[in-house]
Amino acid sequence: MGRVLVVFLKEVRDALRDRRTALMVLVASVVTGPLTLVLVAQFVSGLEERASTLKVRLAGAQHAPALVNFLRRADVEIEEAPEDYAARVKKGDLEAVIVVPRDFHERWLDHEEARVELVFDDSRTESSPAIRQSERLLEAFNRESAYLRLMARGVSPSLNETVKVERVNAATPRQRGAVLLFLIPMFAILAPLLGGMTLAIDATAGERERGSLEPLLANPVSTAAFAFGKWLAAWASATVVAAVTLAGFVLAATLYAEKKLPALLQFGVPEYLRFVAIVVPLAAFTSAAQMLISTYGRTYREAQTYVSYLATVVSFIPLVVMFSGAREAPWQAAVPVLGQLMALQRVLRGDGLPAWDALAPAAVSAALAIAAVALVARLLRDERIVFGRS
Amino acid sequence: MIAAEGLAKRFGTVEAVRGVSFTAPDGRVTGLLGPNGAGKTTTLRMISTLLAPSGGRVMVDGIDAAHDPLAVRAGIGALSDARGLYARLTARENIAYFGELRGMGRAAIGESIARLAAFLELGPLLDRPTDGFSQGERMKVAIARALVHDPPNVVLDEPTNGLDVMTTRSLREAVRQLRQAGKCVLFSSHVMQEVAALCDEIVIVSHGRVVAVGTPEAIRAAAGSADLEEAFVRLTGGGVEA
Repeated sequence: MGRVLVVFLKEVRDALRDRRTALMVLVASVVTGPLTLVLVAQFVSGLEERASTLKVRLAGAQHAPALVNFLRRADVEIEEAPEDYAARVKKGDLEAVIVVPRDFHERWLDHEEARVELVFDDSRTESSPAIRQSERLLEAFNRESAYLRLMARGVSPSLNETVKVERVNAATPRQRGAVLLFLIPMFAILAPLLGGMTLAIDATAGERERGSLEPLLANPVSTAAFAFGKWLAAWASATVVAAVTLAGFVLAATLYAEKKLPALLQFGVPEYLRFVAIVVPLAAFTSAAQMLISTYGRTYREAQTYVSYLATVVSFIPLVVMFSGAREAPWQAAVPVLGQLMALQRVLRGDGLPAWDALAPAAVSAALAIAAVALVARLLRDERIVFGRS
Repeated sequence: MIAAEGLAKRFGTVEAVRGVSFTAPDGRVTGLLGPNGAGKTTTLRMISTLLAPSGGRVMVDGIDAAHDPLAVRAGIGALSDARGLYARLTARENIAYFGELRGMGRAAIGESIARLAAFLELGPLLDRPTDGFSQGERMKVAIARALVHDPPNVVLDEPTNGLDVMTTRSLREAVRQLRQAGKCVLFSSHVMQEVAALCDEIVIVSHGRVVAVGTPEAIRAAAGSADLEEAFVRLTGGGVEA
């Protein structure tokens, strides 16, 4: 154990001597949280602002006095759309435009099918609230006119609507925030990768490239002690960077909480502690995996390439989960990264964290980390690794 | 004392070393001489337990390297073919790291570094990061690192490679002092002059085999040549630098 400590301390000291890299990683991790939250908060408050003031753009309002009348009664601000509305929608200046054709009023009076066009570009997510708003207003107008006509003929309007849908949004405000704060778990998972990388590579491929591995291994110390000490150093570095990154989020969340988005940014000290408890075992696994991969690299750069593939795979997991719409299932807890992601999201949603969901990812990560470190110890006895220099 | 007994090493289909036997006694300088590719480095790697022999065995002070490699490593100070330093650490930190790995206490390391610094003329370099060191300076730090635990057996793989005349001379002086201290010194070289100047005992290897063993005089006699250089060329089939 004494030798493990010697190796650990040397690796940490060596890494800290590389001031520029250490500083860059640290600054990047401090800044990540506040920067992300500011951007997210601005985005979200923008959405809410857009959706809360009812405003509709009309082209050809003069052809639809009934619609205009309805909108005025609904307290909707009506704006005349400019001539080149189509181009502007495409560019993103306008979000949705209701276009009324010339014959609308006559057809509407004659009880013929009266058409309007809703022009929008749904590739822009930020305009979706405005699009939905216009759609709803048009539906409401449609429904009102139908009611009035049916009533005029002595028919009950409910005949026309066999199922009445009432919208009840089940998400509590805090849960709505967690959907957007998919980003915090994402950073919580990527931070240890960033934090452990430099050290994991330098301690393995770096030793090979420098030609310091052979003299190092000539010391009367088992390769297991070397692998273990180096891994502890990489893990420590990964943990520190992850803890600092997440602390940045807490700081930003508390600064923001009062003013703008109290419901959105529920990321306080209790959540922080749970996050760290989930991320530390993950960091054990990622730094061990990085070390194992780097050991195959003959040079720092070569190892860096291999390790960046790992980062790509890991960062894909949250995206796959998000886009595949995978439902939570118990087996997911046993998949590294995915298990942590699920647990982190539960914490953010304010759901309870059952023991299985908390402990299974940690246990799997620890087991994989130990296996990876044992493999590194074995590779350090491999002639091709020890002597195989570029 | 280091003894190689029928050492063999095969890499795939290549037989790098085929039955090398010799003994390097304490208080003597033993030179492993041979052309490039003769199997010198592979032999030394097997002695420092970093390579497992495919045949034969290594005995260091009576310990079989295959049975207790850590004990053998503890008794050897080896300057290997690769001699990279940690560039961000100072010379002192580089040396101290190896001392700590060998289980030495802080005080013992301090004393050892002071002794080695005097011995290798390292003084002014000690507290500078090794990043900007010249090749000779690096070599001195690497040697100090290998000798920090004052080992009874010293293995040096081509120690003078790439060194200038002055550094080579001070290195030779250092080797003589190690002999005087009663150490077993084993070093390899492909330079005849160097071996002739330093060694009490010469082991000539060629194509993975020992082709001659003995004092410089005995070698001359065996080759039937009064000239040592001529003897080397004959015994190794050429390829040794004069």
